[in-house]
Amino acid sequence: MRGYDFHTHPVLVREMVARHPELQAAARETFYIGNTFQPLETFLLELDAAELDKAVLLPIDATTSRGKKVYSNEQVAELCGMSTRFVGFASVDPHDPQAPQNLEYAIRELGLRGLKLAPPMQEFFPDESRLFPLYRKATELGIPILFHAGMSWEPGSRLKYGHPLRFEDVAAEFPTLRIVLAHLAWPWVVEAVALALKYPNVYLDTSALYFDNPRDFLRFAMTHQVPLTVFERSLRHQLVFGSNYPRVEIKNMARCVRALGFSDECLRLIFETNAETLLGGAR
Amino acid sequence: MIIKLQRIEVQSRKDLEMIDITDRVEKVVAESGATDGMALVMTTHTSSGLLVTEGIECLERDVLAHLERLAPKDPPPGASGYWHNRPLDFDGRLGFNAGDHLKSILGGIHCYFPIENGRLVRGGRQKLYFVEYDGPLARTVVIQVIGERNQSPAAE
Repeated sequence: MRGYDFHTHPVLVREMVARHPELQAAARETFYIGNTFQPLETFLLELDAAELDKAVLLPIDATTSRGKKVYSNEQVAELCGMSTRFVGFASVDPHDPQAPQNLEYAIRELGLRGLKLAPPMQEFFPDESRLFPLYRKATELGIPILFHAGMSWEPGSRLKYGHPLRFEDVAAEFPTLRIVLAHLAWPWVVEAVALALKYPNVYLDTSALYFDNPRDFLRFAMTHQVPLTVFERSLRHQLVFGSNYPRVEIKNMARCVRALGFSDECLRLIFETNAETLLGGAR
Repeated sequence: MIIKLQRIEVQSRKDLEMIDITDRVEKVVAESGATDGMALVMTTHTSSGLLVTEGIECLERDVLAHLERLAPKDPPPGASGYWHNRPLDFDGRLGFNAGDHLKSILGGIHCYFPIENGRLVRGGRQKLYFVEYDGPLARTVVIQVIGERNQSPAAE
């Protein structure tokens, strides 16, 4: 059993909510999910059911925009200490002038492996030049940035912050910074694919589900909006599997990505190799 | 008169799974102190169920396979497809597990057993299963014991 889910949110882990009661409101009111809290074991069993080994955990620091963090960097590190199957990312408040320093602390001292930013929830445009010191720091640290791109489910989140063309300046100005545009930047899949075709440092993750079900939605986005052959032939080194768990189960997304019609070689890249490349080699 | 309600947690480990909970329910009955009466058992979830059948692995597979045939996870094509395939604004996620809910309806969510001499009255081959239709998840099963403690020597 090998492979990564590059896009998960640990918002429903019961043990963490018991230790940090503020995470309950963060899950319900900020992240906006109504499912029951589950023991940590359920998360690991969900990975088992999807036949995957590891999950990237994504926090969101929405201190300025929402007055809350959906997991602090310390809490992500704490959860990573409970299982070797977790790879923790950091998040920083993009409105905080200390964001680059906070990122450096999270990577060097807490052992986190990447940066998650969510422009619609954190309310910023990714190509604002005031963010460039943060991108410079991520480049210097050699870590990837996973950006929420495209539509956001949370009430109050504006689509305008997630348009893929607002990421072009970042990709162009920081050519050695590895950038993941999450959710295929749906509905702007064509634009996101254009960016990835033009900029080899732009990756896409598969965690897109906005109507119907994973089978029908992914078939629409990845065979009709853009032909599957484009992903297979041109972007096979820039596509990673992500589920967006727990908004959707890992098992369901993994099964449907595997059934899209990719070659076995391409599936290995999507589920395993590309994630390791993004993380700078497996640990 | 004894009326006791207890919740137990059942951790499913697979997407579809039958989990024998007979001993756990017997334990709740024994601890209730009731020697005669009845036990009501219910799952609190709409994509899981409770079933009684013979406790053998081959039959477990047949039960799950049959329910999957009747209410498949993947939506049938065309007009017979599921309506439950859409964003649930109250839940912050999509609902696309109509097949799992339908299995729950077909199989049922509760069971009833008489209690005699402090134990469930059941056939020699009957086992009580919690049935997971959309796991793995930690689930809650409610057991209510209604009865009385028979003080006669026969019940001691």
